Amino acid sequence: MNRVFKALSDPSRRRVLQLLRQRPMSAGELADHFPVSKPTMSAHFSVLQEAGLIEAEKTGRTIVYRLKMSVLEDALLGFADTLGWKMKAAGDTRHLAANGRPKPRPLKGEV
Amino acid sequence: MEAKPTSYYLAPALLVLGTGLAVANWYLRPQRAVVWGTVLLLLGGMTLALLLVRHRSGDEAAGRHGADSVRSGIVFAGLTIAFSLSVKLATTLGAAAHSDLSQRVTMTLLGAFLVLTGNVIPKTLTPLSALACDPARLQALQRFAGWTWVLTGLAVAVAWLVLPLRLAEPISFVLLPGAILLIVVQLFRFRYARQRPA
Repeated sequence: MNRVFKALSDPSRRRVLQLLRQRPMSAGELADHFPVSKPTMSAHFSVLQEAGLIEAEKTGRTIVYRLKMSVLEDALLGFADTLGWKMKAAGDTRHLAANGRPKPRPLKGEV
Repeated sequence: MEAKPTSYYLAPALLVLGTGLAVANWYLRPQRAVVWGTVLLLLGGMTLALLLVRHRSGDEAAGRHGADSVRSGIVFAGLTIAFSLSVKLATTLGAAAHSDLSQRVTMTLLGAFLVLTGNVIPKTLTPLSALACDPARLQALQRFAGWTWVLTGLAVAVAWLVLPLRLAEPISFVLLPGAILLIVVQLFRFRYARQRPA
């Protein structure tokens, strides 16, 4: 559940989920809606996939992303949008922009 | 060694508990033998299903997933039966005063079951390559069915928890067929739109 909260804490990732509510979209179609680099978008997709909120499927030469949210996760997305959650989002986004991939999770026992 | 899911141990435990409670109820109220006999038959069927999945699930992921689903269903049904039989037994022994408690618990659990099953409906995806319809419409249908099921389950559970029986009964008997009807209508609209030429 932690991964879900982390994924929903970022406004860009929430926007991706809102776009996917309309229909499944390719990575390119989704990236067109955001003024960020492709590696950054790719990192956002990875975080959403890790949380189990979206699923990627390769069709031909494109990767199509689909929503894979339970009703509870859908409701959480609605709450997050309404309340504008920004848990740790600023730090994560800075890390994404600098490295093009999400911040690595600390190992067990590591602080 | 891979850890077994909780349902692996819980399902047989609940079946044994349910059987014990049914036998105890039969012993104390033999005039309702038909009811206890039916419950015991049901528990026997569930035990058979449990034994079958234990032998047939195999090592492949799909088999394990199917077995887990069956076990989860048995856990839920076993929990409902055990709870209901416990309350009946307690009422017979004079330990519980409310005779409607059993019905309330059963219906609240049914509501919870609807919430749990509805919650995962939108998460069940078919590979795009295997779809013969518009994936966007299918996704909309799944989300609609999931939300309808979850809200209906919540309403039923809350109604049986807090409302008097004379209100909870009609409300749930309107809500449940209403939700099913809504989903069936959406399903027909989905199928009709699929068959209609573009």
